[in-house]
Amino acid sequence: MYDGMYRQPVSRPDPGCIVILLDRSDSMKAPWAGTGASLAEGAALVLNNILLDLCITATKEVNAPVRHYFDVGVFGYGARVTTPDEGVESAFGGPLAGRGLVPLPELANNPLAVREEPSVDQMSVSAKIPIWVEPVRGYRTPMCEAIAVAGGHVFDWADAHPNSFPPIVINITDGMVTDSPYDGVALSEWVTRLTAIETRDGPTLFFNVFLSPTQAPEIIFPTNPAGLPAPGPDLFAMSSPLPHPMVENARADGLDVRPGARGLAFNVGRSTLLKILQIGTRVPDRSF
Amino acid sequence: MVVFYAPKQGNDEREWEDGAAGSCGDPSTGRNPRFAVADGATEAFGSARWAEQLVAGFVGLGQPDDCAEPPGLRRDAVHGWLELMQARWHQDPRAAGATDLERLKLARVGSFATLLGCELSGLDGPQPRWDAVALGDTVLFHVRNHDLVTQFPRIAAEEFGVNPDGVPTKPGGLSGAVDRLADDGGQLAAGDRLYLATDALAQWMVVAHQRGPRSLWNALATLDHPAKFRNLVADRRRADEMKNDDVTLMRVHLLATQPTHLVVCR
Repeated sequence: MYDGMYRQPVSRPDPGCIVILLDRSDSMKAPWAGTGASLAEGAALVLNNILLDLCITATKEVNAPVRHYFDVGVFGYGARVTTPDEGVESAFGGPLAGRGLVPLPELANNPLAVREEPSVDQMSVSAKIPIWVEPVRGYRTPMCEAIAVAGGHVFDWADAHPNSFPPIVINITDGMVTDSPYDGVALSEWVTRLTAIETRDGPTLFFNVFLSPTQAPEIIFPTNPAGLPAPGPDLFAMSSPLPHPMVENARADGLDVRPGARGLAFNVGRSTLLKILQIGTRVPDRSF
Repeated sequence: MVVFYAPKQGNDEREWEDGAAGSCGDPSTGRNPRFAVADGATEAFGSARWAEQLVAGFVGLGQPDDCAEPPGLRRDAVHGWLELMQARWHQDPRAAGATDLERLKLARVGSFATLLGCELSGLDGPQPRWDAVALGDTVLFHVRNHDLVTQFPRIAAEEFGVNPDGVPTKPGGLSGAVDRLADDGGQLAAGDRLYLATDALAQWMVVAHQRGPRSLWNALATLDHPAKFRNLVADRRRADEMKNDDVTLMRVHLLATQPTHLVVCR
C-alpha cells in the first residue's frame, strides 16, 4: 500500500511536521484509573513529555542550537482558554500562546514553565521538566472543527515543504464527536480532506488514540474493527494504516504489529499513551 | 600517517562527529606508535567531543597533567582506562555552561562512540607487528602490495549499522561493552599500509574490495589531497554506494626509510 512512500528522513533542510489534537471536553475530568489524576492532567503530562523527547533528540551539544527537525503544533478542542466558550485553539501557553506550528528550536526555548512533574509511568521519581501544555477541560467535543483547523495549518506546511516526510496528525480523545457535520461536512469527509494533503513522500498520516478512564483491555494497532466498542469502529475507519517506519518502531518496542495495522490505539492507559506517541513520532533516521 | 575526512552531506564542517589521532611514540619511554579512529553516535550528546577524547587518550595525546596513561591492549586494562575516560567526560568543564535541556540529554542519553585502536611494535626488529582492539564497526584493513591481508573486525557488508557496539559515557553500560571488545594482530612488512575507516566508508570498502581489490587499494594508496578524497566520497554517495554519514579514513604507510617530504594540507 505504501510502496516507496514514507522513506524521507527528517533533517534540517527537510524537517517533519507533528500535530497533536487534544480533546478538552468536560469528560476529560474523569479520573484516569491507576494514575491519581484526571484524563486531562494525564494527557497534558504525556504531551509535555513527548514534546520534551523531541527537544532532547534534537539537542546535540553544549551551546549548540536545538536542531530544527520538526515543526510542532498542539491544538485543544472543547473548552477554550482565550475566550470562555467551546471551540479549537492552540494549546500552547506562555510565550507561544496562540501559535500554530512552532519550529522545534523555538519550542525548546519557550516553555510555559519549568516545574516538578510526576513520572508518566510512576515507576521513577518526579523530575523538573519544561511544560508547554496545561490541562484544560469543559464543554463538548468539536472534533470536526479541530481536524479542519489542523488541515489549514498542515496544508500550508506541506506546500512549503514538498520534500519532507508527510505530516503526522495524532488525535487524542476520550469520547464521541459532537459537531458532525461541521460547516456542512461530516467527520469522515474532514478526515479525507486532511489525509489528501501530501508531500512527495506521501499523504498526511492521521492516527487516533482513545483514552479510557477505567482499566480496560488495551487494543493497539488493530487490523480490523471487529470487537471494538463505540466509537472504535469509526476511529478505525478514520485512522491511516501504519507506514513501514512506525511498524518497525512498534516492533522494536515489543508490539505485535500485523500487516494492515491501523494507527489506532484504544482504551489506553497513561504509559501506553506515551509509548504510542513515541512510536508515532519517530520517523526515519534523523540524518542531519 | 594521513587522515582524510568528510562530514555528512548537508552538515557543517564543524559537525563532523568522528575522531582520529596518531602518535609516533617515544623511544625514550618505550612508548610504541599508536593510531585510533572513533565514530560518535549521531543520536547522542557531544559525540564529537567523546570521539576526540577517546582517540586522543588511546594514543597518548593527553593534557600535561593527565593521569590517564594510554591503556594496554588487554581487556582489563582497556576496561580500567575507559572508566577513567568516562569520569573525565563527566568532569568536562565545557559542560558547565549547559542549559537545562542539554543537562537532561546528558543525563538521559549521554554519548556513545565506536573505537578502533592500533599499536605498532617491533618496528626496528625482525618481526614488526600491529595489534588492535575494537568496539563497534570502525574497521582496520591491513594491505600489502594492493592485496588485503586482514580485515579487523571481520564485518560483512550487510552487517554494518546493525546495533553496532561502542563505548558509552554512562558507567552502567561499560562492562557489557568491554565484554564484546574484539582484538587481533598481524605481522608487518615494509611497504604495508593500514587503513582505519569509520563505518560508512568501511562498508563501501568491503564491497569495493569484493568487486575489484587492486582498483580499490590502488585508489586509496594514491590519495594525495583532501579534495580527491572528498570527490571520491561525493561520487560514491551520488551513486548510492556509500551511506550519507560522516566518513574518516586514516592511512598508515610503513616505510623502510625516512620520508623525504612532509606535506601539510589545510
